[in-house]
Amino acid sequence: MSELVFILAMNGLVWGLIIALIALGLSIIFGLLDIVNVAHGDFFMVGAVFAWTVILMTGNFWLAFLIVPLIGMLLGIAIERVVIKPIENSPSLSIVATFGLSLILQEAVRATFGATPKRILDPIGITIPVLGMNYQVYRLFAAAVAIAAIVAFFLFLHRTKFGTWMRAVRQDRETAIAMGLPANRIFLVTFGLGTSMAMLGGVVAAPITSVEFRLGLDVLPLCFMAVIIGGMGNLPGTAAAAVLLALIEGIITSFAEPTTARIVSLIIMSVVLLVRPEGIFARRRT
Amino acid sequence: MTLAAKSPVARLGPWLARFTPAQGFALLAGFLVLLPWFVPNYQRVFVAEIFVWGLFAMSFAMVFGFAGMLSFAQAVFFGAGCYGFNLGTFYFGFNTWGAVFSAFAAAALFAIPVGFIATRVRHHHFLIVTVIISVLVTTILDSGHWKWLAGPYVTRSLTFVPEVPLGFVSFSFFNEIVAYYFTVIMVAAAVAVCWLLVHSPFGRALLAIRENETRARLIGLNVNRLRWIMFVVAAGIAGYAGALFALLTRFTNLEFFHWTYSGKAVVMAIIGGVGSLIGPFVGTAFYLLSNEYLSQFFQQFVIVFGVILLVVIRYAPEGLWGLFVGWVRSHRSA
Repeated sequence: MSELVFILAMNGLVWGLIIALIALGLSIIFGLLDIVNVAHGDFFMVGAVFAWTVILMTGNFWLAFLIVPLIGMLLGIAIERVVIKPIENSPSLSIVATFGLSLILQEAVRATFGATPKRILDPIGITIPVLGMNYQVYRLFAAAVAIAAIVAFFLFLHRTKFGTWMRAVRQDRETAIAMGLPANRIFLVTFGLGTSMAMLGGVVAAPITSVEFRLGLDVLPLCFMAVIIGGMGNLPGTAAAAVLLALIEGIITSFAEPTTARIVSLIIMSVVLLVRPEGIFARRRT
Repeated sequence: MTLAAKSPVARLGPWLARFTPAQGFALLAGFLVLLPWFVPNYQRVFVAEIFVWGLFAMSFAMVFGFAGMLSFAQAVFFGAGCYGFNLGTFYFGFNTWGAVFSAFAAAALFAIPVGFIATRVRHHHFLIVTVIISVLVTTILDSGHWKWLAGPYVTRSLTFVPEVPLGFVSFSFFNEIVAYYFTVIMVAAAVAVCWLLVHSPFGRALLAIRENETRARLIGLNVNRLRWIMFVVAAGIAGYAGALFALLTRFTNLEFFHWTYSGKAVVMAIIGGVGSLIGPFVGTAFYLLSNEYLSQFFQQFVIVFGVILLVVIRYAPEGLWGLFVGWVRSHRSA
């Protein structure tokens, strides 16, 4: 029993780190551009589909870790330029626009990739014994990649000039623009970065889940919950909440139905929303 | 310039501008009455379905266009309406009127606690909360574990042909013309009620809240309660549409609860225009008709709607109906 709890908690942790990576992208886009990106789950899905395509074309899964985030960056920049930029003055219409984007991405994948779910073989193919059970090494590798990407993201945000600009715009857009920061360029890069992170998450998760065009529909609510519980626009809070939620769900799954686990985390979210709408990790940063 | 002025479309504008709104509505009513006699068999139910989905899209326009709440929970209330309809029909043994009422009641009652949570938060939180509530409901229903909560009434097909009892006579849905007229009259009644509502002081207050919430609060409006009431009313309308749908097609589906169905309402309403009650119907007709007749040429027709949605938001945020009204008005003032 305790082995099962441990394994499921591990799985939850790995999944939570991937969700944290995706939710950070959602949160940074929200914090800077002031829109909830409903297409974010579909960016994740497109990343997984691209990983599958890279394997199909080159036979090498590891190449996807390099190529797909780059494609994500370019795709995100193009979308920001063409779709989001012209309507940036109306946040609620921008959200509806991202919903249109989500429809386009899903149906485009269904038209090209097909409607049937596909699986990617475990690219490492080694299992190690953990408490008498075999555990996939790839899952540990996935967790490592997610952690590395999250750390790299925070380093970028806190140690580079561009990251400092991004934090400045997030704190006070007007003042930042008045100080001469290139706001348009910052928005472009932010959206590209967010997309790129979601698509990297898709690559990392592709061998763990099955790849299909509806993949994003399940991931988006998870990211939403992480963003709500962690506090909107609170980046470390979002990451922590994602890991915590997935861990709790993993542990509950060991003795109850997965549905019950999901319902428990949804109830946690509702309570947080009612009691502390600013998130449980909030310490009003000014 | 001169070429454009001579085209028949340019002459249509001044011609349309001569009609008063009352005449326009009379024309519309006449059109709706005569329509089934020109539509071939088996298509009348489809036409009636457009009105039902239009009403569903309109319920979204009520919360978004008239109260500024971007809700992705409308599908839950549509589904709750289907559930209430089945509950009324099979559990309580109501006739058609009772079942429609119980659908309205089920959706509105469910919306009371949901709206209490959701209307306490604003903008982005509101959107996320409505999505999460939809996910919660679909997760519970999908799992099949909490059967004691919903019973067998979520997905159930009518095993008989519904009847519309009217005093001494009773009309059967077996006749498509009856189904059409019943649906259109019920939809028109709902639209009339909603029209009165959004033009009442209550509706005006919500517009004020949408435009400037701080100012609305300063002049003494109870902002959260007004938003809550509107949320519940719109949910009831969505549930009512669910009942009409269940009557018309005689089947209900778990799928209707999913938030992607709310997304459908969003797409249809925004394409038609959320600033009026007519707009969502225009958008729905456009969506369903082109889906029906053009998807045979191109399977993934939803892509086209995604693109149309983006174009409408970018160039005509007031939607197709808003474009039309603006175009007619421009001729009136000239």
